[in-house]
Amino acid sequence: MLREFDLTGRDLFAGEPDAEVRRQRNTVRTVALAQGDLLTNERSETAGLSARVIRGGVAGFASVADVSEESVKAVLDEAKKNAAFLDGMVALGKPALPKAQSGRFRMTREPGDPEQKAYVEFAREVDAYIEKNCPKLISRRLRFRADSMEKVLTVSGGTDAHTFLPRCYLYLSFTAESPDGAPVDLTSVVGGYGSFDALFRDPKDVFPEVDLLYGKLLAKAEGVRPEAGIKTCILGGELTGMLAHEAVGHTVEADLVIGGSVAGPMLGKVVASPLVSLTDFAHSAFGKAAPLPVYVDDEGTPAVDAEIIRDGILIGYMNNRDSARRFGMEPKGNARAYAFSDEPLIRMRNTAILPGHSRLSDMIASIEDGYYLIDTNNGQADTTGEFMFGVTMGYEIKNGKLGRALLDTTISGVAFEMLKTVDMVSDTVTWSSSGFCGKKQPMPVGLGGPELRCRLMMGGR
Amino acid sequence: MTDLKKLAAECLAKLKEAGADAAQARPSVSEHREFNIDGGEFSLYRTVFSRSLTLTAFRETRTGSVTLNSFEPADIDRAVSDCMASVESDKPDPARGIAEDQGERELTAGVPEPDAEKFFARTKELKEEIEKRYPTIMMEQMICDHGKTESVYADTNGNLFRMVYGAYGVGLMFSAHRGGKASSFMGAGYQTADLDTPLIEQGDIARALSDVEKQIDTVPVEGSFTGTVVLAPDCLGDLLRCAIGSFASGTPLIDGTSVWRDKLGKEVASPDFTLSLAPHDPAVVLPQQLTSDGYLTEDFDLIKNGVLESFVAGIYVSNKVGCPRSKNTATGWLSMPAGDKTLDELIAGIDDGLFVYRFSGGRPANNGDFSGVAKNSFRIKDGKIADAVSETMISGNLADMLFRFAGASKERVSDGSSTLPFAAFSGVTISGK
Repeated sequence: MLREFDLTGRDLFAGEPDAEVRRQRNTVRTVALAQGDLLTNERSETAGLSARVIRGGVAGFASVADVSEESVKAVLDEAKKNAAFLDGMVALGKPALPKAQSGRFRMTREPGDPEQKAYVEFAREVDAYIEKNCPKLISRRLRFRADSMEKVLTVSGGTDAHTFLPRCYLYLSFTAESPDGAPVDLTSVVGGYGSFDALFRDPKDVFPEVDLLYGKLLAKAEGVRPEAGIKTCILGGELTGMLAHEAVGHTVEADLVIGGSVAGPMLGKVVASPLVSLTDFAHSAFGKAAPLPVYVDDEGTPAVDAEIIRDGILIGYMNNRDSARRFGMEPKGNARAYAFSDEPLIRMRNTAILPGHSRLSDMIASIEDGYYLIDTNNGQADTTGEFMFGVTMGYEIKNGKLGRALLDTTISGVAFEMLKTVDMVSDTVTWSSSGFCGKKQPMPVGLGGPELRCRLMMGGR
Repeated sequence: MTDLKKLAAECLAKLKEAGADAAQARPSVSEHREFNIDGGEFSLYRTVFSRSLTLTAFRETRTGSVTLNSFEPADIDRAVSDCMASVESDKPDPARGIAEDQGERELTAGVPEPDAEKFFARTKELKEEIEKRYPTIMMEQMICDHGKTESVYADTNGNLFRMVYGAYGVGLMFSAHRGGKASSFMGAGYQTADLDTPLIEQGDIARALSDVEKQIDTVPVEGSFTGTVVLAPDCLGDLLRCAIGSFASGTPLIDGTSVWRDKLGKEVASPDFTLSLAPHDPAVVLPQQLTSDGYLTEDFDLIKNGVLESFVAGIYVSNKVGCPRSKNTATGWLSMPAGDKTLDELIAGIDDGLFVYRFSGGRPANNGDFSGVAKNSFRIKDGKIADAVSETMISGNLADMLFRFAGASKERVSDGSSTLPFAAFSGVTISGK
């Protein structure tokens, strides 16, 4: 656990209205098995100190791989020097930013950190179960990844914070053969917010997930390719979350709005069906903890929910303090940095389309000829809102009933056009949080949503 | 200044003392300087001073690895202890090993020491040149940086290599805008050691900027057809790396799911197709000098005249699969020979197809099936570049596609790591609305 220190009264920030110092420690534990062989057995830890100083609208940032109190002044001086250099060269002359709400936030519970042996033994027990109970697999892979971020943030104006963000996941990847001998694979993830010892108490708890994945894969191995073209589909909650994050969320990050995203001219306009609302949740959602809670961002802004789309109308962006001033909005805690050596960027936290009132069974029954698309392994979108998602599991819907499973396919569309076709929204939200969002730096994020009935371009093949 | 060779030797001694019968130590220190332009304005000057230490231990063919960013003796002692605990959690696997003794070597590459003022001037010039030459371009982000790394690899077999590297990097993310309409976003970038040449004239960024300006107005492709795609070098590299990952390396070879598992020495591509892993190509700025096993690297042909010459295999994969170890594992350093036609001549031979700058698709399936959106792309009609296209998907199978290689351009583009031509492949499904 990083030791806190109090910079108050040391005049380190004297004359610098926009400055922050962050000490941070990131850990990663990885264990990977393939066919019972241990391929990866690694632990990594990085810790360091960074400072950012904003002058005249430009930032100077510096960092060192050292968390000692003695290094704070040197790093802050380097950041001041960098800010002065760039300010001197470009002279934008912007005034100081409004201060965030002052205060102090502290999480006291330190996550557990078991030895590698615990991960390896757990994985081996699950692997043994798979080997015994999934005879039709031609390949089985298991991978544990546990990561954590601990941050001690001190700011010149805003909320100081000491936070932890631990996650741990077990990825199960199976491969079977189709009747013509082609490999067919499917992956499932279990885990979430918290440490290994809190989330993975007994390997037997994972066995039902193994059975479910095996059953789905065998159905997929007998699956068919979907018909290409625009179809009526039900987008599963995992894919809705991907849509919320990739195709909508990035377009409304204010730095990308400034850079020319499609959302720029759409503020206050209809971008979706009135059944669609979207929020980037800070630390709780729908009466529960959000998948990856953020309480204070890395500029010292207390994190609150950022409402983006309300009843189909675009009403806000995600901001840092600088962009919030530019757009006349309130910063809501979206400035996040991944490593000690990273500067805060505008990032999502837990982005979800809100649930509606339809039941999934009624949604399936309403479709004569279409598809129910459930799992995804990949999604990309650009800030025009054009998206492409890989679909790894889905089913035909024929005459209101689920039909044959689908082989891998892709779906595509333009978010603000496709969302206008949504005419049913289910009452249940599915969250996922195992991935990283990539935008200069990686970042753990949560994404979720209900099932959506909509019109989509199916890739087929 | 830490003596990294001495530190590595101390770490190896501690690992041996803790019970390792073989070990590797990799300490490094790095300095990174970076200018950011966001939304068309300079926004950030960032300096990062980092260090890293990776320890890998083996005992009776069991292994474990630990990475930390501290050189403090107490932290290293804890890392040694963690590393050996990881070793104890493993089971023996005789496929593991490290490189035999190749001696000591001092290796340098690129420009380790930056010229900060000249680099800022070149960065500013690049920003201004783009604004002047390409008025519809909106720069979402431009990052110009310099990184310097001093690293040491040492192992208990006697290998001791010290490497000092440095290079400048340029990365752009941009789109074109006019009258409320916009192109798709495009990324372009490269590594360089050359500050004498203006940055706009290096890599292939001038072509990319110019072509994105032509992608503001797009026309959807109607229906579906089978045609020829010409892949720009970046896009080609991405798809080739997917093919190598699925067919020629790592877990797919070990578990037997690779469709090339029994193709060594056999045809896997058109007889005209050759692909090398060439970390020592003259155009490379920072080569891969060492494999993770500790072998000094050499260039090699992965596919020569359509025949699979080698897998990408380190010691472990080699022993598991029973194939020869490859001369490097540098899939980021691809090289393809130039063709005998210019890009224009290559396009002139295509009746109907697509010129694809960027493929936005899911990870191809293990069997090579791929499907995704052709971004920043143009229709090719009757031998000429026609309209920019929107919402157009391309799909096919990577393994099949290599047999449908239809030629490479004379022009090759280097991003400082890979040097690739524009390449044409027939038989790709192109589908629009």
